[in-house]
Amino acid sequence: MRLPAQPGEWIDRTTPLGFRFEGRDYTGFAGDTVASALAAAGVSMLGRSFKYHRPRGLLSAANHDVNAMMQWGGMPNLRADATPLAAGMDLEAVNTFGTLERDAGSMLGHLSRFLPVGFYYKAFHGKRLFPLWEKMFRAMTGLGKVDFSAPRQRTPKRYGFCDVLVVGGGTSGLAAALSAAEQGAQVALVDENARLGGSTQGASELVGKVLAHPRIRVFTDTYAAGYYADHWVPLVERERITKMRARAVVVAAGAFEQPAVFRNNDLPGVMLASGAARLIRRHAVQPAGRIVLLAANADAYQALADFIRAGIEVAAVVDLRGTLPSEQRALPAAHDIPLFAGHCILEALPSSDGRRVAGVKIAPLGQTQAIAELACDGVFMSVGWAPAAALLYQAGTKMRYDAGIEQFVPEKLPDGVFACGRVNGVHTFASRLLDGERAGSAAAAHCGLGGAKPIAVPTETDSPTHPWPIVPHPEGKNFIDFDEDLQLSDLENAIQEGFDNIELMKRYSTVGMGPSQGKHSNMNALRVLARATGATPGEVGTTTARPFFHPVPMSHLAGRGFTPERRTPMHALHEAAGAVWMPAGAWQRPEYYAIHGLTREACIEGEALAVRQGVGLIDVGTLGKLEIRGPQAAEFLERVYVSKYAGLKTGMTRYAVMCDEAGVVIDDGVIARLADDHFYFTTTTSGAAAVYRELSRWNTLWKMDCGIVNLTGAMAAMNLAGPKAKQVLTGLTDVDLSLPFLAVREGNVCGVPARLMRAGFVGEWGVEIHVPAEHGARVWQALMQAGQAHGIRPFGVEAQRLLRLEKGHIIIGQDTDGLTTPGEAGLDWAVKMDKPFFVGQRSLAIIASKPRPRQLVGFMLPADHAGPAPQECHLVIDNGDIAGRVTSIAWSPALQRHIGMAYVKPGMDAAGSTFAIRLSDKTLVSAEVAKTPFYDPDNLRQKEEA
Amino acid sequence: MKIMTCPVNGPRAISEFAYGGEIRSMPDPATCSDDEWADYVFNRNGSPGVKREWWCHLPSNTWFVAERDTARDVVLRTYLYEGEG
Amino acid sequence: MPWRLLRFALSKKHPEPRMFTRHDRLKPAYDVVIIGGGGHGLAAAYYLAREHGITNVCVLEKGYIGGGNTGRNTTIIRSNYLTPEGVQFYDESVRLWQDLAQDFDLNLFYSNRGHYTLAHTDAALRTSRWRAEVNKHFGIDSEVVGPEVVKKAAPMIDLSCGGHAPILGALYHAPGAVARHDAVAWGYGRGADMRGVEIHQRTEVLGIGVVGGKVAGVRTNRGNIATNKVLCAVAGATPRILDMVGIRSPIYIHPLQAMVSEPVKPWLDPILVSGSLHVYISQSARGELVMGASLDPYEVQSTRSTFDFPESLSAHMLDMFPFLSNVKVMRQWAGMADMTPDFAPIMGRTPVEGFYLDGGWGTWGFKATPVCGKTMAYTVANDREHTLITGFGLDRFRNFALTGEKGAASVGH
Repeated sequence: MRLPAQPGEWIDRTTPLGFRFEGRDYTGFAGDTVASALAAAGVSMLGRSFKYHRPRGLLSAANHDVNAMMQWGGMPNLRADATPLAAGMDLEAVNTFGTLERDAGSMLGHLSRFLPVGFYYKAFHGKRLFPLWEKMFRAMTGLGKVDFSAPRQRTPKRYGFCDVLVVGGGTSGLAAALSAAEQGAQVALVDENARLGGSTQGASELVGKVLAHPRIRVFTDTYAAGYYADHWVPLVERERITKMRARAVVVAAGAFEQPAVFRNNDLPGVMLASGAARLIRRHAVQPAGRIVLLAANADAYQALADFIRAGIEVAAVVDLRGTLPSEQRALPAAHDIPLFAGHCILEALPSSDGRRVAGVKIAPLGQTQAIAELACDGVFMSVGWAPAAALLYQAGTKMRYDAGIEQFVPEKLPDGVFACGRVNGVHTFASRLLDGERAGSAAAAHCGLGGAKPIAVPTETDSPTHPWPIVPHPEGKNFIDFDEDLQLSDLENAIQEGFDNIELMKRYSTVGMGPSQGKHSNMNALRVLARATGATPGEVGTTTARPFFHPVPMSHLAGRGFTPERRTPMHALHEAAGAVWMPAGAWQRPEYYAIHGLTREACIEGEALAVRQGVGLIDVGTLGKLEIRGPQAAEFLERVYVSKYAGLKTGMTRYAVMCDEAGVVIDDGVIARLADDHFYFTTTTSGAAAVYRELSRWNTLWKMDCGIVNLTGAMAAMNLAGPKAKQVLTGLTDVDLSLPFLAVREGNVCGVPARLMRAGFVGEWGVEIHVPAEHGARVWQALMQAGQAHGIRPFGVEAQRLLRLEKGHIIIGQDTDGLTTPGEAGLDWAVKMDKPFFVGQRSLAIIASKPRPRQLVGFMLPADHAGPAPQECHLVIDNGDIAGRVTSIAWSPALQRHIGMAYVKPGMDAAGSTFAIRLSDKTLVSAEVAKTPFYDPDNLRQKEEA
Repeated sequence: MKIMTCPVNGPRAISEFAYGGEIRSMPDPATCSDDEWADYVFNRNGSPGVKREWWCHLPSNTWFVAERDTARDVVLRTYLYEGEG
Repeated sequence: MPWRLLRFALSKKHPEPRMFTRHDRLKPAYDVVIIGGGGHGLAAAYYLAREHGITNVCVLEKGYIGGGNTGRNTTIIRSNYLTPEGVQFYDESVRLWQDLAQDFDLNLFYSNRGHYTLAHTDAALRTSRWRAEVNKHFGIDSEVVGPEVVKKAAPMIDLSCGGHAPILGALYHAPGAVARHDAVAWGYGRGADMRGVEIHQRTEVLGIGVVGGKVAGVRTNRGNIATNKVLCAVAGATPRILDMVGIRSPIYIHPLQAMVSEPVKPWLDPILVSGSLHVYISQSARGELVMGASLDPYEVQSTRSTFDFPESLSAHMLDMFPFLSNVKVMRQWAGMADMTPDFAPIMGRTPVEGFYLDGGWGTWGFKATPVCGKTMAYTVANDREHTLITGFGLDRFRNFALTGEKGAASVGH
């Protein structure tokens, strides 16, 4: 029922919003939550429970009511108690079989005696039948439905910075924010509600001051999802996440009101007093007409005043405490409300349709015989609190159990983290103001702003929490965990079965594992365990409070979803030429250039043939390009590569292999000596960043007189190769093109300063041209243009792979793996063990004394091989055992047969001998070990003057 | 995100850094035994505690030393490498 | 409704005894002391008692049983490894897994869902073929499949992965399964307990006595124990125990994080792993999406969470499943992984006589639980390595004879 206007209500009565729930039309107001609008319309059953499909309604109205989850189109698991009402919503309760009204799943409630705690561990595991049972379980579990057509949402993220972050905009949080700001701190104040003020009335003056303060930034409708190292707190808003970096954090997150445990305490209409008060104050909704108030603290009597004001008839106040302060007694007495001190609710009685509370049975605490039965349509509970300490735990706070207030409180806070208010064990309104002021001041002082005010906060005289709000009942259905449908006996039975540690009990019973993550169940579960094992709650301890405080949508976590990609300066030209892209680490490289009407294979073969017979151009700009200068540059290179470079003549290049300290091949490239103290060298595409980094580390350690620069992004590079390559280049450069094989020259190409290296990777006369990146596209275009007359073709990675295979050159990472030594890869010739030192040398000396486990060899299939050819990573089989694997294989247009490389066992590597390769379909294919290079074995073509 | 302080560039998000492992001294390869060498190459001090580690600030390619408590993931001090000890 | 649940309805008192006997004090001596009450330690105790008749055994657990990596992993079970040693070892484990629920008379929710390792690059596809071929050689059901097969198994997947990591194929491993991880520890624990093994929780090992190169006893926070055999099964914290006996090892600790969504109606049947996107995902019987990624990039010996983890994992999840934008992540957590240079475990005898090691479990320890228990029990009982673990000895590093599992370990879970 909607009440007349309440002071400070959140709803806007001038903006009605129509919506549907379970196929019926309703109207609420702007400012309503889905749940408050439904409550105003008299709908009390909002969902069905997870396991027994029992009718459930509102509990907290504070974003913890996981039994009131809704599906709206593609949005699963909307929490009705925290989702703002929007016009046109079409909502259904999640997890029903049929409809909310007629849920076939509710028959499970009748089977509950068969379904004790952990029942699914105790049956259903017959080997044959389990898959069927499992199918059934999977059909029954889960809550909302995923809509496969829902689009990806990209939500930008923000970065925020502040001196003091205050989490919680209730009384103590407001006071903390003000006090920190007044000391000069830039403050961010975050609260998950739409408005500041928290759950207590009386803070409105503070709210005004906070909103007006120039140094306080307010985030409402926002929750702090977790605390991460160095005061890094993601603030989750409806539309985005702000990642807040604070210099100090004040946790003023308050406390969760805890339910009492009695039979049928889950009936719609049974709710927390704070939740009922929220509905009244914020949404002007009267959640029930006639209630019984279950009390055990001062808060109950403050709420009672609210209820009376809202015109709710209070049938009785049942207080678990035998004696209570006279000022608490006064209010019910003044209104002629019967007060049952030292009593409990034995059970709540359902209405005839079972969908709402219709009465309660009352008994003296500890007795099982009811002394009175009262009719009511609401039971409001205010029996105690559990601190909302998740962020404190995540920050590493040591907590202790304060028996005086029956609550865990911070004992030792980490540096820069502060707590105040209910989470700090301070419950009285005046004390919360003081505690907030104290914490805010201390937090500002932590940031170097003013001194921490010495404020003494009086200790609570009256415990706000009852130590045992739990009433056993032989018929059960006295729920501890509403998310997971766990009754008192479930926990007792779990303990009996040996799960008598808080973590084990949680894992076995699943208490606290549901969507609310135990906000309303962990404390009572802990009390049950403590009582059963004769321990104090402090000795039992809590389970770990992991992020998140509330679940966070994946779209918010993902943000925009960056996928950085690197492109060479010639990217657009490749694109225009029909490049089919392949990833190479972060880079995109042309795999080949598609020609309309030709297959991939034909395109690649055409590119390769162009290089062999005419001229081709490939972009090799993704290679790592490093430069080293200094008197000790040569000595440094000798220490990090396996070959020698001190004797390398200026103007010449040499192949370079790098090992790690275990002697495993990790990278290769070419080193060019530009001057006595100046080298330019390349690395593999994927290794560039790591090699540069590792060489820099060695240089930091060794302190040699040389410096290394990474030019990978600064230089473009292309390889012009083929018998007509020289003709293409003639006229475009001032470099004398009679330069010998493996020479390097500096000069100009197309008027651009360039380094030219005579390279032999693809086995033709070729030159690698390195120019500043900004000129790369121009040089590429000029070469393509000059090459037109010679039939030049751009070629991609696939053609290069084939061409290099014909020359027997290995590719690191394809022909080597995480354990390959130079010797296994056939690189013994490059390894100079007579140097004083290089990385990996000592390990290679040890490895050399042991039998070599495998050897990379070249192989050919018979020229007349028919049928499918082996593929890379097909196994070499010897006498039925694995003897190696194929690392590279291709059809060689030049040789007109399949050629490849494979690891084989020692003794199988003699040229001319044969071995078997097994295809995926188990066919064996015979291959012959062949000397490499397969093509132009004497390397005449690459050396020849073309 | 966690903060690491580069001795040159100041405090930055830890995603800007690469971890280079604990600083370990290499035995003299000329004189050490095979076992000593294998111990150097493979074995690590894997127990929690305060360790001297290599870290690299990637955008500036600055290698430096961080003293870090690996049990708490707390960086105690960072400084440029000046040699052993 | 199975008949065996009837007794719960018919009985007035909960008709279940304690699964684990409580022992008030440690005995002065045991034949074998097992350090670590996770799946591995409890499994070793179980097989020592069941297969070798050695029951004067105690398991010492610093916290609670199954509270370490046993309860922190994403429960994937598979045998599609790369090396012959690995494949045969994990294959035996899968075989044991399949009978475990019957052995224990405890439902482990061992759920055979099929496992797809997605390949987004030709290099990944090559590695997939390598693994498939080695697997098939040992009779294990693995095959390289095309994107269309992936699409059939998970029709809702975006095969282009947001356009930047197209799925070129996958390694399909039919036996891939998930299980209820905690229950595995409980099953082994109960089985060991029934056979006389003592499980001592909240018992921390403070030192290990070694006399003349032989194990002599164990010092704990609850007193000293004499024993000649100690099995160390504390993956995630192995170096701390090794330090007590002066054994050096290559093990280093990196955290591995995971997260879980709110329950949604089950829609994803298989287990999917993407090395390129650093994602692995399955949907539990509760309807939660269980998700993981790669190791944290630096050494930490705590189970702290980072926010970068759910951020990047969610972005990659949405690349594969864009429609999950509105699904919420409920909880994240972390474990500590014993990493080794060759991504293979370290098992067997050690230079200290009577000290046996079961460590180096990286991110692959859960699936090995049964076979580890079995082979380590054999090794401890006979003071001789079981043939399935001879490739995993600590001395392989001294001998530069590493196993080659690293070749395939882009994502190794």
